Amino acid sequence: MAGIKDLGVGIGWRSEIDLTVERLPGVDFVEVVAENLHIGHLPESVTLLLERGVPVLPHAVSLSLGSADQVDLHRVEHLGAVAEAVGAPMVSDHVCFVRAGGLDSGHLMPVPRTRDALDVLVANVKLAQRNLPVPLALENVAALLEWPDGELSEGQFLAELVERTDCWLLVDVANLYANARNIGTDPERFLDEIPLERLAYVHVAGGEQNGDIYHDTHAHAVLPEVLEVLDELCSRVAPPGVLLERDDNYPSDTEIAGELAAIRAVVNKHRG
Amino acid sequence: METPTTAQGTWLSAEEAGFLTAGPGRAAEAVLARLIDTGLVRVSRDGLVTAVHQTGHEATTSIEARMLGHARTAVRFDTIVQSTANSTEVADLYRHLFSRGLLQVPRRRSEARWFTLAVAGVLTVAGFVAPPFFAGVPIALCLFVLQYGRSPVTKAGKAALKHVTAHDRVHAVALHGFTGKVARQHVGELFELPQSVVKMIPPRSRKPRKRSTADGGGCGSASSSSSCGTTSSGCSSSSGSSCSGGSSCGGGGGGD
Repeated sequence: MAGIKDLGVGIGWRSEIDLTVERLPGVDFVEVVAENLHIGHLPESVTLLLERGVPVLPHAVSLSLGSADQVDLHRVEHLGAVAEAVGAPMVSDHVCFVRAGGLDSGHLMPVPRTRDALDVLVANVKLAQRNLPVPLALENVAALLEWPDGELSEGQFLAELVERTDCWLLVDVANLYANARNIGTDPERFLDEIPLERLAYVHVAGGEQNGDIYHDTHAHAVLPEVLEVLDELCSRVAPPGVLLERDDNYPSDTEIAGELAAIRAVVNKHRG
Repeated sequence: METPTTAQGTWLSAEEAGFLTAGPGRAAEAVLARLIDTGLVRVSRDGLVTAVHQTGHEATTSIEARMLGHARTAVRFDTIVQSTANSTEVADLYRHLFSRGLLQVPRRRSEARWFTLAVAGVLTVAGFVAPPFFAGVPIALCLFVLQYGRSPVTKAGKAALKHVTAHDRVHAVALHGFTGKVARQHVGELFELPQSVVKMIPPRSRKPRKRSTADGGGCGSASSSSSCGTTSSGCSSSSGSSCSGGSSCGGGGGGD
C-alpha cells in the first residue's frame, strides 16, 4: 500500500446520530466501531452511506494488542470481516491493552513503554496483520498514568512500532492534548518523533477539565487547544483525513456541523 | 391556568389540540413533534429518541420537561409517546381541558341501543292494547338516549378545534398524528422521519372495538390510535392503559 488516499473530513458514525450523519453536508468519510456491527446485518444508514460512495472505516476497541496474552483471533477475524463488508481500505485499533488475566479493564490502558512491552505489541500486531485483509492503523491513547521504568518516549515507541510492523498511524490530537495536560507529555515532540509519512488519518474529539484531570470524554465540545494541536500537525504534514469523534451527549446538528467546519478550516489553512 | 382566547375563539396549544383530537397519545405526539421541531431531541433511523445536549434551552412546558428527561438516554419512539401519554403531566392537561369545559365525561355508545328503541316501539304498540305498557315507553326511551353515548369533547371543545389548522408540522401532528396525512403527504415526512420509525406508532383504528370498558366511560389510549370520537363512542387502546386523567380522554374524531 503506497499511501492512504485523501479521505477528507469525517465523523464517527454512531447509531444515535445516524440520520444526522446522513444529512450533514461535507461528511467525506465515516468511521464505525467494528464491535458494534454485525456481519450480514449492516445498519441501513451505513449501507446508505456506502451506496453514496462515502468510505466507511472500521475502528476496533477490543483487540488489546498490548496484552501479554496472544491476541484473540476471533476479534481480528470479525474486524477483517467488517472491513470486507464495508469495502474499507484499512482498519484501526489502539496501542493499548484492555484485558489481562481474564479481566476486562473497560478502558484503553496505556502500554508500558519498555522494549519488552514493545516486543509483545509487535508480535501481536504482526499476528493481527497476517489475519487482516487490509492494512492496520494504530492509535495513540489518552493516558491518566505512565507506567514506571519507561525506556522510550511515546513518539519513539510508535516510531519503532511502525518500523518493525509497517503499520499505519492514527494520531488522535485530543489524546495528545489530554496527555500533555495530565502527564506532561509534549505534543510537538511526539509529532517530531513519529514517521508522519505513515499517517493514515487523525482523530479529533472533545473533553472537559475536571479538577486537575482533563477527561477525553468524546461527550463535550472540541476545545480550541485541541484544534491548535491539529494545526501543529497540519503544519508538518497534510493528513489524509481528519475525523471528529463524538460518543455521547450529542449536540445539535448545527453544533456538529460547526465542529466539522472548524476542523476543515484548520486543514484547509495549510493546503493553501 | 387561564384560558387564552382569540377573536376566533378559544386558543389551543398543539398538545391541547392533539388531546381533543385523539386523546393523550396524540397530545404526547404533538409534544414530541415540537421537541423535534425545535431541535431539542433527535430521532435515529432505528427509532431511538435522544435529548440533544445543549445548554440554555429549557423545556417550555411540564410535558416537554418530562419527555426531555425520559430522552436523556435513548428511548424508543413509541415508548416515549406511550409513557408520556400515561404521565401525570398529561393527566394535568386532561384536567385543564376539563376545567375549561372543553372535555366532559363521555358515555359509551351501546350496540344495544337499537334493541332498546325496538322495545320502546313494541311497548308503544302494546300500549294501545293494554295502556299500562305505555308506562314503559319513557323508560325505554331514556335508556336509548343514555345508550346513544356522548363524546368526551364538548361543543366548546369542538368549536375550539375548528379553528386549529395544520399550518405547521407540529399542528399537523396534533391533528393527524405522525402516521397521518396532510395534503396527501405523510406527516412523518414533514420531519424527514423514516416510515419504519413512524410505523412504530400503531395506526389509527378504522373500526373501534365493541368491547365495553369497566367503567363504561373510560377511553384510554396511550397511542393516537384512540378512536374515541364524536362519531363513535367506541374505544380502542393499543396499550391497554387507561386514561390517566380519570374517567375519559379526548377524542374529537380528527381524521388522518
